[in-house]
Amino acid sequence: MFNNLIFIILFMLGFYALVIKTNLIKNVIGLNLMEAAVFFWVISFSDIGGKVSIHKLGEEVTKFNDPVPQALTLTGIVIGASTAALLLTLIIELNKFSGTIDRDQLEGLND
Amino acid sequence: MSWMNIELILLIALPALTAVIMYFSKYFKQRLRNFFAITGAGIELYLIFSLFVVNYEAVKKSDFFLQYTIGYQNTPFVINFAMDNLSLLFSLIVTGAVFLIVIFSTQYIRDKEHRYFALFFLVLAAIQGSILTADLFTLYLFIETITIFTTPLISFKKTEETTRAAMQYLFYGITGGIFFFISMILIYFKLGTLKMAAVAESFSLISAPMQLTIIIFFLLALIIKLGIFPIHFWLPRAHSACPAPISALLSGVLLKVYLYIFMRLFWTMISFDFLVNLHLNAFVLDLALVSSLIGHIFALQADNLKKMLAYSSIGHIGMILAVLMLNTEAAFYGGLLHIIAHLLMKSGLFLSSGYLLQRTLSHHIDDLKGIGHKNRLVFIAFITICLGTIGMPPLIGFVSKWYVLLAFLKARHFFGAFVVGAGSIIALIYYLRYISQAYETVKSESLSLKEEFFSLREIFNSTNIMKTVIYIFTLLVIFFGLSYQLFELPVNTAIFELLNPQKYIELVLGG
Amino acid sequence: MNKLIKKIMSLFILAGVTYALYQNFSLMPEYQGLNEGLSSYIIESGLNDTGSLNLITAVLYDYRAFDSLGESTVIFGAVSGIVLILSRKMLPVSSKGLSFIVKRTLGIMTPFIALFGLYVITHGHLTPGGGFQGGVILAAISIIFSIVYGSAFDYRRYSPQTKTALETGGAMIFLGLGLAGIILEGAFLHNLGFLTAETGTLISAGSIPYINIGVGFKVGAGLAIIFYSMIQKTFEEDF
Repeated sequence: MFNNLIFIILFMLGFYALVIKTNLIKNVIGLNLMEAAVFFWVISFSDIGGKVSIHKLGEEVTKFNDPVPQALTLTGIVIGASTAALLLTLIIELNKFSGTIDRDQLEGLND
Repeated sequence: MSWMNIELILLIALPALTAVIMYFSKYFKQRLRNFFAITGAGIELYLIFSLFVVNYEAVKKSDFFLQYTIGYQNTPFVINFAMDNLSLLFSLIVTGAVFLIVIFSTQYIRDKEHRYFALFFLVLAAIQGSILTADLFTLYLFIETITIFTTPLISFKKTEETTRAAMQYLFYGITGGIFFFISMILIYFKLGTLKMAAVAESFSLISAPMQLTIIIFFLLALIIKLGIFPIHFWLPRAHSACPAPISALLSGVLLKVYLYIFMRLFWTMISFDFLVNLHLNAFVLDLALVSSLIGHIFALQADNLKKMLAYSSIGHIGMILAVLMLNTEAAFYGGLLHIIAHLLMKSGLFLSSGYLLQRTLSHHIDDLKGIGHKNRLVFIAFITICLGTIGMPPLIGFVSKWYVLLAFLKARHFFGAFVVGAGSIIALIYYLRYISQAYETVKSESLSLKEEFFSLREIFNSTNIMKTVIYIFTLLVIFFGLSYQLFELPVNTAIFELLNPQKYIELVLGG
Repeated sequence: MNKLIKKIMSLFILAGVTYALYQNFSLMPEYQGLNEGLSSYIIESGLNDTGSLNLITAVLYDYRAFDSLGESTVIFGAVSGIVLILSRKMLPVSSKGLSFIVKRTLGIMTPFIALFGLYVITHGHLTPGGGFQGGVILAAISIIFSIVYGSAFDYRRYSPQTKTALETGGAMIFLGLGLAGIILEGAFLHNLGFLTAETGTLISAGSIPYINIGVGFKVGAGLAIIFYSMIQKTFEEDF
């Protein structure tokens, strides 16, 4: 399945950026990439070749895509946006204190 | 029409409402704000306690069950809130501890109280929600909510250290949340339902590899949130950086809530047999025991009082998780009792450390010289609770550790029994380090013990309120140690709930 | 050296996880839709139950309205936390902005952006869209003001107090409708029956459009406040 493959690639790219990269902003990007991969996978996986799940007046549609995963994903996106904002805020604050956003340098400062 | 059991939704709505009031309390006087905060938490405690008292007979027969449904009746797509004996026990102890913590923080926090209390009560609402919910997605939402709301509270003091701790906490927490989301959505795609009870009924229909994936992602999420060994770095930092009441909330209360979620997921929703079939229970058990040992050993080398306490939390939580994984009745008894004991002791320890460290230069061990002389009574309380954590009879820590040890011995799991014993001995060493440092003689004039005791008469003086809360925790530790039989009924009914998930499933689906 | 070992170890772990994920997800059979369970129920009777043409909106604001309430609480908490972390006394004063051409062009475009945002919010139950999506578009207006005209302009137009009021107002609409559900229909956040009208018209689907409006203003104001708190530092440096 093509979308599964792309999900794995995107997810692992995000994970790579989260674990290996030392720039904190890149870590946030990695985290968001992981989230986006999951959401993308959910939406693409729930697509069974039907119509978007919105009725049209005077039109009988026999096959709809599942609306529930889309609604859940929307909630997930909002949570992801809030956390990204909170993380970036903390990074701004950290930069004010120590003048760097590099994880390794921050570790060095502490010890 | 479901007017019935509306108190379940009130349990979540009341703290949220208090949070809104607190958010606008910038314009209130301090007294009024404190009044609202304490009243909010008090009503919550009263509500949950009255639930317990009113339904005492039902609890005794362990057929206590409350349910509230949001949405269209008689459709498969509703959000359920359910309360059985297990949730009642957790809700009760959590609310009790939070009530005391609120009283402490009305005096401890001196800056931007309105935002502090708004976030604090939102956390309380999310905790109640995650205890009461019977729906997977709502559970995910509440877990994420807890993580998001506690982060600003961790960085409340705004120094470099706290900001870093909060950031690390958020990174790990959100990664755990993503794993939880994956598991949840996989369950939805496989079974087409999000109700925990419905999932429990048909979990065996999923193919074995997919079961393994789902369980592993759930385990990963909860191991991250609980701070079990390979992913525990964030915990000591986050739990030591924040103000003392928040440390008590995180370490004393929140970890227990995650343990509750663990039980809900792996005993009620996914039956424990699946873990046994996949050979994961032994693995998690060993991991938790190693985590416990490592937590205690790291506490030995921690030079910061609060960090030491946080590492000791890792040790205790690992022990509780390990004993729960034994899946016997004795193990549940020990585990649940130790959950209650650890909640009381760790909250008390963090609060008293917050009081003791108010006027020291830093939290470093060298700066603690002589605090035992300056605040004698509080420090005696501190030592008492420390002894409880080590497992000294007649305190509650002894009772719970004894039952944990018995459970390990009964299951003939000697590594577990060794970890319990070794943990106690190591804990004795690291507490003694601090206690001896605190009694180092320094020149200072201080009240005699007697004078200090009598100064308590002015009880509404702010330092005295803080002291009183600490003493209450100490007295509770002693009192429940002497009369731990009081917990026999709620703990045993909670165990009944864990051993017979069928009841919960039938009642949620039927009602 | 130590760092290199750490990196290689992490790469191995990553490769292992990738392999495990590949094993699991590549073998996954294609999703055929669920014959029983939630989705088929919603597709069959979602329109009758809620009166909303957009089934996703029906799920979000009717069947699972409680989750959406929690979600807007998340935004409330995030905003509160960010303001707590980044609270600075300094008022952002910068009226530099961008060049004349950009200012003029966006001056013409802004009303249309606002109109589009409002359209997305109010037609949430009829077409793709809804409160969250429209709210983000509304927040973009505030961001555009700050970037193009300088934040002083934005401050004068929509002061933080206004935004906070809008945010709480939105939340109150949501909560009020939920409580009205208890009183009128007997369940928290139940769709209000007396508001239903002919399906497909703008004001139909019970309380869903009103919840949409509340959520839209809440999200818009919340995101604007987040942006506003984050840029403050930049403007201190402008002096």
